[in-house]
Amino acid sequence: MNFRSWRFYIRNGFQNILRNRVMTLASVTAIMVALFVLGLILVVVANLDVMVEGMESRMEITIYLKDGTTYDQRIIVENNIKSWDEVYEIVFISKDEALAKWKKELGDKGKLLEGYSGENNPLPDSFIIKIQKPEYVETVVERISAMPAVEEINYSTQVAEFIGWFARGVRIFGSLIVVVLAVVRVVVISNTIRLTVYSRRKEINIMKYIGATDWFIRWPFIIEGIVLGIIGALLSTGLVAGVYKLLIDRSGYINVQWGYLGIFKLLPIGEVMLPILAISLVVGACVGVMASTISIRKHLKV
Amino acid sequence: MIEFQNVSKMYVNDVYALYNVNFRIQNGEFVFVVGASGAGKTTLVKLLLKEIEPTAGSIFVDGVDITTLKRREIPYYRRKIGVVFQDFRLLSDKTAYENVAFAMEIIGASGREIRRQVPAALGLVGLGSKAHDYPHQLSGGEQQRVALARALVNNPSILIADEPTGNLDPATSMEIMRIINMINRRGTTVIMATHAKNIVNTMRKRVIQLDKGLLVRDEQEGGYFDEL
Repeated sequence: MNFRSWRFYIRNGFQNILRNRVMTLASVTAIMVALFVLGLILVVVANLDVMVEGMESRMEITIYLKDGTTYDQRIIVENNIKSWDEVYEIVFISKDEALAKWKKELGDKGKLLEGYSGENNPLPDSFIIKIQKPEYVETVVERISAMPAVEEINYSTQVAEFIGWFARGVRIFGSLIVVVLAVVRVVVISNTIRLTVYSRRKEINIMKYIGATDWFIRWPFIIEGIVLGIIGALLSTGLVAGVYKLLIDRSGYINVQWGYLGIFKLLPIGEVMLPILAISLVVGACVGVMASTISIRKHLKV
Repeated sequence: MIEFQNVSKMYVNDVYALYNVNFRIQNGEFVFVVGASGAGKTTLVKLLLKEIEPTAGSIFVDGVDITTLKRREIPYYRRKIGVVFQDFRLLSDKTAYENVAFAMEIIGASGREIRRQVPAALGLVGLGSKAHDYPHQLSGGEQQRVALARALVNNPSILIADEPTGNLDPATSMEIMRIINMINRRGTTVIMATHAKNIVNTMRKRVIQLDKGLLVRDEQEGGYFDEL
């Protein structure tokens, strides 16, 4: 392809955009709305991903120590477990603390436990261990059960499985929505570009009679599609960023309201928006190319 | 040279638009294709432009059977042919000059060639002074002259005119015919489909007459009479 032709394609592509202002506006709006939805989904998926990671890191195993375990024995267990890579945190809860906590949870009925304090406390000393990832739970449990001082291990594989399942679900569902939306977008935008092509069918027809090659006819429309896609992507990313900024500003309030639910902390705006901008640009441009190609196909058959 | 060998064309309705048509046109000839509406004139033109494929037979242009051309070869074949239509088919948002230049741009001509050839072509059809008018500012005859300039600016060896005077009054028609005749005298083969009796009778060129898809008459310097 020679340079002259490329100048022609680019000039014509931009001419199309400027000449059909209403169509251009319609196309850009369609692309912008679609990419805006994509952007919002990406924001949600990114944040859910991080949140799920946070939940995973809070996987807990509770171990109860045998009655009569000495302080020295306890420290050995604690230091041993603390040295494992899989373990995120280990907290000791004495039998007195456990009883006090139980009493507190019972509230008014806490009096019922009064006879069990001191020497009569039936509750064991325990450790609460937080694990880095759900898949480590089994190994950690296995190693702990080999320890002589350990009476009982309490952990929920169900919770672990559920959280893992939820994390996978979020990712799969997210990508599914992204794919479905991409298809919907191609259809919507190709219809819009079809209008542009339709309004120029006479010109295409004439070009065919004069002896223009298919690619010669196609390129200006493809360039038009790419430019429309990029404009739409920039606008939609701006919109998503605006919405996200609002959310971040509000999230301080939400965190205060829900206290310890600090796990819902949102990712910083730059970290989220840069990949979204990149994805939007690529998707926008690709959709533009596909839509142009589809729209023009019928009109090349002369 | 253009040659139709046993060319038939049937559309989906099982009726032959052309049936077993044979003729040969030498380089530089001027040929009228005449016949009533539906006789097959437009089908013949479309076959020559390779817009449609014949159901049977071969069409040779400069020794090449165009029915065997591949899709990507068609544009290059069409560059040998200039074509004008009854409805002019100019781009309304381009000036006369730009419409003609457009034909050169799409075959990848240089800016220098365009600046040299376009005014020459417009001058040839007598429109040099209206180069920067838009089609809506031009009369029908002037628009058809722009179309002629566009058709010949790339120096095609063949000019196909499909009812070029169909939308024009008699005086303007004769002016257009004068230009087409001049193009023919410069060596371009002209094939013109028409049912303008007075033009055919005045010009006294070769006439190929079609009737219901059959070639019913082919004579040098023929007139155009309705009866067979």
